[in-house]
Amino acid sequence: MISVKNLSKSYKGIRVLNIENLEIPKGQSFGLVGNNGAGKTTFFSLILDLIQPTTGQIKNKEILVNESEEWKTFTSSFIDESFLIGYLTAEEYFYFIGELRGQTKADVDTLISQFEDFFHGEILGQNKYLRDLSKGNQKKAGIVATFIGNPEVIILDEPFANLDPTTQIRLKQIIKELTQNKDVTVLISSHDLQHITEVCERIVVLEKGDVIKDISTSDATLKELEDYFTGSVLS
Amino acid sequence: MIKRFLSLEWKQFTRASYFQKGLAIKILMFFAVLYFGGMAIFMGGAMFFILKKIMPEADPIETVNNFMIYWVLANLAIRFFMQQLPVMNIKPLMIIPIKRNIVIHYLLGKTVISFFNFISLFIFLPFTVVLLVKGYPPVYVLFWFLSIMCINMALNFINFLINKNNTVFYAIASTLVVLIGLEYYDIFKISEPIGLVFNTLYTNPYLVVIPLLLMAGLYKINFNYVRKGFYLDDAVSKKAEKVNTTDLTWMNRFGSIAPFLKNDVKLISRNARPKQVVMMSFFFLFYGLFFFTSDVYYEMPSILAFASMFITGGFLMTFGQLVPSWDSEYYKLFMSQNISYKKYLESKWYLMVVAVAISFVLSTPYIYFGWEIFGMIAAGALFNIGLNTFITLLGGALNRVPIELNTKAKAFSNTNGFNLTQMLIGLPKLVLPMILFYVPYKLVSFDAGLIVLALSGVLGIVFKTFFLNKIERIYQKGKYKTIAAFAEKK
Repeated sequence: MISVKNLSKSYKGIRVLNIENLEIPKGQSFGLVGNNGAGKTTFFSLILDLIQPTTGQIKNKEILVNESEEWKTFTSSFIDESFLIGYLTAEEYFYFIGELRGQTKADVDTLISQFEDFFHGEILGQNKYLRDLSKGNQKKAGIVATFIGNPEVIILDEPFANLDPTTQIRLKQIIKELTQNKDVTVLISSHDLQHITEVCERIVVLEKGDVIKDISTSDATLKELEDYFTGSVLS
Repeated sequence: MIKRFLSLEWKQFTRASYFQKGLAIKILMFFAVLYFGGMAIFMGGAMFFILKKIMPEADPIETVNNFMIYWVLANLAIRFFMQQLPVMNIKPLMIIPIKRNIVIHYLLGKTVISFFNFISLFIFLPFTVVLLVKGYPPVYVLFWFLSIMCINMALNFINFLINKNNTVFYAIASTLVVLIGLEYYDIFKISEPIGLVFNTLYTNPYLVVIPLLLMAGLYKINFNYVRKGFYLDDAVSKKAEKVNTTDLTWMNRFGSIAPFLKNDVKLISRNARPKQVVMMSFFFLFYGLFFFTSDVYYEMPSILAFASMFITGGFLMTFGQLVPSWDSEYYKLFMSQNISYKKYLESKWYLMVVAVAISFVLSTPYIYFGWEIFGMIAAGALFNIGLNTFITLLGGALNRVPIELNTKAKAFSNTNGFNLTQMLIGLPKLVLPMILFYVPYKLVSFDAGLIVLALSGVLGIVFKTFFLNKIERIYQKGKYKTIAAFAEKK
């Protein structure tokens, strides 16, 4: 689904990301871990054509992301709060995204109703603008908005951060359900090793922009990751 | 302690975003401040002589006193519009072991050195000096000056009390308009009784205690107010606003750009900054009154063409020139969602067209000045729709200054969307209609000028797709730069 070739990004001569070759097949749940500054958000921003690669290219379903806008029709993402429109209520925001993705109000309503327990009664019918919601609730709204309009690729940057335990557990279920049929490719990054090993079938470790590990998730993965990150503390 | 506060303040000042902007901006800002300050000083100095000239039989100080009520109301209105109590800044100070009272005194004291207070000082100080030089009794003059400054400060503190209440602003603004109207048509002169009050202040220097007490009292009220609300969930926090949901489904008839238009309507109605700007654009409607009432300009029809364009172009000049900054807070969403740049730009174009159309309808009372004038306004409106919209959008491609939507702009501390390229791109907007009108007017006739101006607009409408495509390409080219600039935190 997503193929990366010779991708690198440098700021003022300092290389922050360098991925020679990476193929993410359709329907994969792909996890990205790494310490701060490892290049996770940079990578996602490159896929979304929000920043320009220094070298190389990214293809999303055979579409070169920096040459055509076509990938936008089947890709959705939530990177940070700048993906929310602060002066809308959650419902208005969902309908707006729905309209952009060719969904009727009823379509959006049906989809959202599936997430009522995820929202925990704190998002819908609150009569509050998104900017007045707490960080965690903003995130919930942003994450659910990415499910609108049957996207084929969903990119979530640190979706577990700021969420309460109940919602974290529910989010894990949601992501698992999403990737069950192998239709939707999900890319997530996280600092929570346990969550990400639970949810993703493949995990890539980035360090200072380089791919250090590329693991197909198994029972041993969590231990392997923990050892790796412990090691980087000790060394 | 005070020293520490001052050093914090200095750092805030020198490290503020507007100081880090390019040198050109700094110079421009410097000149702007110099200009307004200079104008105020000049006005203050010249006021005595001007009044003497206009009304030789009246004592200038009495005339000034008579019109003081307008100064008070206008002062309050401007403050309400632009000045905010900077309570948010004390959040980090709350948990530091400093006595609350000191922090609050500091906060309120800080507002004393606001630009708005200085404007009054700059006007009245030179006036006072002139009075002294002219041999007015020093005790009277000095205490009068002191009274005025106390009232000025009292206004400063009143503003913070009423600032959260929009109705108060409209009440003040409409009182101002009504009073001016009554005065103008000689129905009731409010200036006389109020003038009497100020004249009494002047002739009885000991009465200075009244404004002094007024100021002290208001300070105390403000102090108590902040003191009481000195908690995170009170005065210090931003209030969560009540949601106003209006049904905008009727806008769906605009088809594929409807979602954006609906969004823009909400953007304007729910955020402080755009509201302020749109309100400003409303004042442009009255621009013609300056020009059409003065015979001087009838000899220079190109100036009239310029004025006509302004009447319907307010929204373009104020709101339009800050596209796409309005969407800066969520620009990444727009860039990664299923939105084509062209649709986005087209929606902004329609928004501006609708705004010009509304302004044009509102400008119909100008028929009073004759059909020639109204024809000019109509031609100006066409020019605005057909050409100015595109020039504005084109300028937007170079506009990379993020805007904080829900904070009011403060005078000289907020250069949001203010930059040199913006000013340069603004030039053709002003000059082009004058040229388009003037050349055929000189060569052929007045009507020819009108027709050419109107036709230029029609041409723009006809070639809309072509223009939009060109503009879109320019936006595409600057996309990454714009995203990066908008992502910068201030």
